[in-house]
Amino acid sequence: MDSKAIKIAANNVQVYYADTHAIKDVNVEIEDKTVTAFIGPSGCGKSTFLRCLNRMNDTIDICRVEGDILLDGEDIYDKRVDPVQLRAKVGMVFQKPNPFPKSIYDNVAYGPRIHGLAKNKAELDDIVEKSLRRGAIWDEVKDRLDAPGTGLSGGQQQRLCIARAVATEPEVLLMDEPCSALDPIATAQVEELIDELRSRYSVVIVTHSMQQAARVSQKTAFFHLGNLVEFGETGQIFTNPEDPRTESYITGRIG
Amino acid sequence: MTDMSQIPGAAPTAKPKGGSLFEKDARTKRRNAAESRFKMYGIAAIGIGLLMLIVLVTNIVTAGTGAFQQTYLELDVDLKADKLDKKGNRNIEDIKKVSTFGYAPLISAALESEVKKLGIQTDLKPKAMGKILSKAAQAELRNYVLANPDEIGKTVSFRFLTNSRVDGYMKGRVSRESIANDKSISVEQLDFVDQLRDAGVLYKAFNPDFIFGADASDQRPEAAGIGVSMLGSLFMMFVVLALALPIGVAASIYLEEFAPQNRLTDIIEVNISNLAAVPSIVFGILGLAVFINYMHLPTSAPLVGGLVLTLMTLPTIIISTRASLKAVPPSIRDAALGVGASKMQAVFHHVLPLAAPGILTGTIIGLAQALGETAPLLLIGMVGFIASNPPDGIVAGFLSPNSAMPAQIYEWSKRADPAFYERAWGGIIILLIFLVTMNTIAVLLRRRFERRW
Repeated sequence: MDSKAIKIAANNVQVYYADTHAIKDVNVEIEDKTVTAFIGPSGCGKSTFLRCLNRMNDTIDICRVEGDILLDGEDIYDKRVDPVQLRAKVGMVFQKPNPFPKSIYDNVAYGPRIHGLAKNKAELDDIVEKSLRRGAIWDEVKDRLDAPGTGLSGGQQQRLCIARAVATEPEVLLMDEPCSALDPIATAQVEELIDELRSRYSVVIVTHSMQQAARVSQKTAFFHLGNLVEFGETGQIFTNPEDPRTESYITGRIG
Repeated sequence: MTDMSQIPGAAPTAKPKGGSLFEKDARTKRRNAAESRFKMYGIAAIGIGLLMLIVLVTNIVTAGTGAFQQTYLELDVDLKADKLDKKGNRNIEDIKKVSTFGYAPLISAALESEVKKLGIQTDLKPKAMGKILSKAAQAELRNYVLANPDEIGKTVSFRFLTNSRVDGYMKGRVSRESIANDKSISVEQLDFVDQLRDAGVLYKAFNPDFIFGADASDQRPEAAGIGVSMLGSLFMMFVVLALALPIGVAASIYLEEFAPQNRLTDIIEVNISNLAAVPSIVFGILGLAVFINYMHLPTSAPLVGGLVLTLMTLPTIIISTRASLKAVPPSIRDAALGVGASKMQAVFHHVLPLAAPGILTGTIIGLAQALGETAPLLLIGMVGFIASNPPDGIVAGFLSPNSAMPAQIYEWSKRADPAFYERAWGGIIILLIFLVTMNTIAVLLRRRFERRW
């Protein structure tokens, strides 16, 4: 695989929840236009690390982050960085589908509206349509854009949330176990979608399912007890891991 | 299953171990008995509560409905020009010079002629006959003449309030035995009332003045109404709503969404909960000390009452607002922050609309609580004030002395004349109607706007 530009670089990242050292000395480089999967047993810190990448951890009072996380060479924890602006660039999809209790249209239009991405209604309509198409849900909802987003099925809701996340034209898309609440069919749809999104965004996905990581990602990072144990090409991690802990995990002996 | 065992070659059914499932063992029986006992206690508790409620409501309704009816006497009064307008030029200033006292002869003349017309035989002197009417009758007549000076010289039909004793007699509260020591009415007068009633000029009718009218002095319970103190309550509620809602909601949003979790906010939180439990009279004395003694705001004014009730209502509103903010799932906040909304946008665009029905419900319930509150009003002088005139204008509504519904009820209940007692119950009915309406609105709002996710 040819090497791509580095989108996000994390150097010596430490995360503390009060006195708990949750992330220990993580160094990782996330490439542009690549799907990077974070795998590891529960509580290993993969979600915590993911939430550092768009500073969602700021909302937790006791959480403290040390080290540098560079997005395009700029430290996102710099004092000059406004997390709100950062989150427009680094979108996020959550574990549980969480559409706003508003219409499908408003769900997608909300981000562009608050960021002033559309000059008029027609442009906004365009953005909504484009985002819903990218979320691979347009055909299912185009006739009922005024229906509440909460009325969709779980898989549709999650794709709506992805459409909502891409509507603000982010550069990186973070996904925190996006399929854990979905059935296998919806999961397959979302995975297919993730593969398509790779052409435009750098996607980081946290997953509990190793099969999923193997299916959708090009790079995989294995976390264990707050350490980044191994990071490399997905194929290599799953076929020929260097670290014995990685091997134990992917063969099902720990986790 | 039983026929299975009859099939040749099928495996035999296993015997139940440790007793059949069809028989309850002693332990299960005890548990079931305990459960049904507990259910019985619950039903009994609810039953007692309902019984109390029924007793209370019947009591209030039977004792209070009387206040909505009043006994009236119809008379045709000859508005004699030589008495009311001696100069004859219909100058309103001259007409005003005739005091209520000057109207008394007109009324007794009218009563006398009515008696003659109906052919009623009585030994009563005209003055004693007039005693069956309310002392408010003369004032009523004078007000009418001042409002319509053109009617002077004509004969006009009036419906006068009767004395509270006569009214009590008509309602069965006063009897010939019970007035043995009563100086304000005699058995002969009651006989006279009977005659008038049989003639159809003295009757009970619905009394709108009780709902819309002003309070009256000790001497005229029949003329007392709750309308003016209702206005007092209304102005107080304006003050409470205008202050408690924005302050309460702003405080709750800050505490719930923005404030850091530290010792200071913990202390504030605990103290808000404590404030909700502070006896209301304490707020009353605080209001007296701060608003009246220190800030020199007018005594008995609905503005001050409203300020005191605001202090009292704030904790209720803050607690309910925080509860409804908490009930909004955090995933909604994450979603908003995730697409790059600022914290304030997340709160105002997503959290607050979802919490609004809960906030509104809490506010209405807080207002209803404030509406029924009496104790703090005792201390700032809204009790004991005779709300005899409606406030003229909005500013006066806030600043001029007034009473409030519960204060008015309290005031009536402590007056000596039993006729006021009936009015206190009637006032309670009106107050309860307000409270039930407000609570119903709160429930409906919650039902209507509640969202599920």
